[in-house]
Amino acid sequence: MHNLAIQHLVGVAVFAPLATALFLALAVPLRRHGWAAAYVSVASVLVVLAASVTALIQGWGAPPVEFGVTWLKLSGVPVASLGLRVDGLALTMLGVVGLVATCVQVFSLGYMSGEPRPALGRYFTYHSLFVFSMNLLVVAPNLLQFFMGWELVGLTSYLLIGFYYQKPSAAYAAVKAFWMTKLADMGFLVGLLGLYLSTGSFAFNAQQTGLVATATTLALFVAVMGKSAQFPLHVWLPNAMEGPTPVSALLHAATMVAAGVYLLVRAAPLFVNAPTTLHIMLWVGVVTALFASFVALVQTDLKRVLAYSTCAQLGYMVAAAGAGASSAAYFHLVTHAFFKALLFLAAGSVIHAVHSNDMRKMGGLVRVMPLTTAAFGVGTLALMGFPGTAGFFSKDQVLEVILEHAGWAPAGLLLVGVGLTSLYMTRAFLLTFFGAQRCGAHAHPHESPTSMLAPLVLLMGGALATGWFGSSLAAATGHHYHFHFSVVGGAATLVSFAGLGLGLLFYGKAGLAGDERVVLRSLATFVNRALVDRAYAWTFSVVALGIARSCAWFDRYIIDGAMNYTGYVSLLAGRRLQRFQTGNVIDYVAAVVVGTLMLLTWGLFQ
Amino acid sequence: MNLPQILYLACGLFCIGLYGALTRRNVIGLLLGVEIMSNAVNVLLLGFSRFTGQVAAQAFAVFVMALTVAEVVVGLALVILLYRTLRHTDVDEANHLRS
Amino acid sequence: MSALLVGYALLLATMVMLALFVTLGKNLVHSVLGLALLLCATAILFVVLRAPFLAGIQVMLYAGGVVTLMLFAIMLTRRGAGVEIVNQHIPGRRLPAALMCVGLFGLLARAIHQTSNWPAMRSGPLPTTRDLGLSLFIDHALAFEVLGILLLAATIGAIVVARKRDHGEPEAQRRYGRTTLPREGKS
Repeated sequence: MHNLAIQHLVGVAVFAPLATALFLALAVPLRRHGWAAAYVSVASVLVVLAASVTALIQGWGAPPVEFGVTWLKLSGVPVASLGLRVDGLALTMLGVVGLVATCVQVFSLGYMSGEPRPALGRYFTYHSLFVFSMNLLVVAPNLLQFFMGWELVGLTSYLLIGFYYQKPSAAYAAVKAFWMTKLADMGFLVGLLGLYLSTGSFAFNAQQTGLVATATTLALFVAVMGKSAQFPLHVWLPNAMEGPTPVSALLHAATMVAAGVYLLVRAAPLFVNAPTTLHIMLWVGVVTALFASFVALVQTDLKRVLAYSTCAQLGYMVAAAGAGASSAAYFHLVTHAFFKALLFLAAGSVIHAVHSNDMRKMGGLVRVMPLTTAAFGVGTLALMGFPGTAGFFSKDQVLEVILEHAGWAPAGLLLVGVGLTSLYMTRAFLLTFFGAQRCGAHAHPHESPTSMLAPLVLLMGGALATGWFGSSLAAATGHHYHFHFSVVGGAATLVSFAGLGLGLLFYGKAGLAGDERVVLRSLATFVNRALVDRAYAWTFSVVALGIARSCAWFDRYIIDGAMNYTGYVSLLAGRRLQRFQTGNVIDYVAAVVVGTLMLLTWGLFQ
Repeated sequence: MNLPQILYLACGLFCIGLYGALTRRNVIGLLLGVEIMSNAVNVLLLGFSRFTGQVAAQAFAVFVMALTVAEVVVGLALVILLYRTLRHTDVDEANHLRS
Repeated sequence: MSALLVGYALLLATMVMLALFVTLGKNLVHSVLGLALLLCATAILFVVLRAPFLAGIQVMLYAGGVVTLMLFAIMLTRRGAGVEIVNQHIPGRRLPAALMCVGLFGLLARAIHQTSNWPAMRSGPLPTTRDLGLSLFIDHALAFEVLGILLLAATIGAIVVARKRDHGEPEAQRRYGRTTLPREGKS
């Protein structure tokens, strides 16, 4: 009975959004009505939230269970199943997805209220599809189902980034995100095949050794790099900010991009067998964290600051997973989901008010938008790791395990990243909410409606409180964690305060002029432009164009040639065969006789 | 007298009828060939009936006869129609199946 | 005994000869009459094969019905009094048709020749007309009824197809034949 209830609750959490998405996709009048679709979708996500939370409470501390049906059989042996894996990890992640998705959809009711009605319906249909895809991925009992969810969230990401498809930049960003993640997903496919070839299963805990393990996990990690925007496959994430801001909050900050890290946590038993991969993972994470933090310093687009910050925080998680401490990575994933969703939604509230993403056109908003300011402030503090907030605990644990498992070098670099995080968040906060109002005379910023403020308040609670549940979370995923003061944690807090102070010094009085400081500007610009863009340009012009040219040659002379020759032969054969079509009955009879003769000959002489 | 003799006869009649059906210019000549062919089939069936004692073969022979009669009736009606529309009954010229 | 065998061989030879005459003959009316003779000879063979009922039908139905029908058809389609109905072969078709027929016969004969365990002459009781009747009306009752419907359909179809039409489109009809059924009220 206990298991049955859990099974049903989790099933509802996964399939209610699918039913909603299908219903909205098929019920065209409802979807085109817009608001009806919105309320159906919000109701469905509330059901998901209720089911997820109930399942979380009921399944707390229960042993992991799996429900499912065998899907693929290979000569009688079950190869893969579809189903639900219910354990602490899945249940907590379901809760996080449900909560953030609910907040974001409710927020969207206010944020998207100006959209044309059909567009609104489309938006919420995509959202329902996304919730289904994400939950499908979260409860996957094996890598194959995980891959399905993985591809589906990629699809919804593409659809939602390209939501304003009339805007060329949005269409471009959607395609870019799709191609980048798709390219990386080839790694997932290769990893899946490698895993199956070497172990005969798609299980998360399949046992591999040596070079095979390294190759398989590296291939999987490439997919993680694409999905979780790790250097150098991160370039799609800043562009993805072309999508509506609530989408950025849900997909590109809290849940979808975290799917990569979730995979690292879920498949930790696989990765443990491949120390080389773990090492690469650690350094990719560290480089991403530092690099993205630098770039975030000089962005003028508020959402882009947050996007690069997301890259950096995902880098922390990947580095923690690379240090072999997947529980720390998961802890940071959960806290980050709350405070980054909060930051994005607060940014959305601001953008809704001033109709611009550009921080140079904001400023002084604290006077008209106090609650939004508070929300953004809380998010900033949590991201900085201010003592007592969610980020403080999780970042502390990440740094601690990295110092413990990987030594002082990566830990030290990540400490620098902590300082940079404080600096750029202070900058963003000050530029957006303080100083002179720069939004122009014609705009009259105002506080957002209740439907947008309520999710902010809820997420503020999450951003402040989640950190205190670290030990429960660790227990749910089968680990142990108790907060204690450590040297590196204290150092991180100090560095964070230093960044805060530096930010106040640079931008407190000077405001926008603080950006003109030569050191910051040149450093970040160099890192961003010179290194990455040049590298991409070179790769593109030499490698991609070379491949493209050879493909074009192959296409023109081999494929087209084959096509043309086939056409020519068909034409010729047709002309010859035309003679058989005489219209004379006797000829047809003769054809029947010839056929009979052939059959007889075959039957007699075979 | 044995079964292969009957079978050779039936096959021979069938092939002769087929030759007629394939080469005759007149539609009625064609129908004559078809008649010989179906008759050959009946010979075959009754031969088997004689040597195995199965009555079903005779029943099938009855069916073959009835089908042949139906075919001849419709075929001759078509011949008359053909003659009425083309003023001749020449199979070789009647190639309207082409277009 | 030997007289019977000689008679049997003569019957078979006659049948083949008649068939060749029907197929190769120059005069269509003669061919039809040859067919009538062939069908009668076949009826005799049926008697030899102990199927007297079918022999009866053969004579009545084929030799009586079908041949008469054919003669009528010839009469209706001749181009005028005094014109002999020629029954030519199409020259270009003779050789391929002959090859096909000889090939078919060769293959069939080979199949017959290869088979060794043919049933011997049956000594037990043979099916009687009574057995045939029982078989037709019990075992194959449905097929028999369907056959009746088929014959009815063929009769009606023949009437519809061959009926003389006065109100057609003469030019199109002359060139392409009637392709649609006459409209209601015009017949």
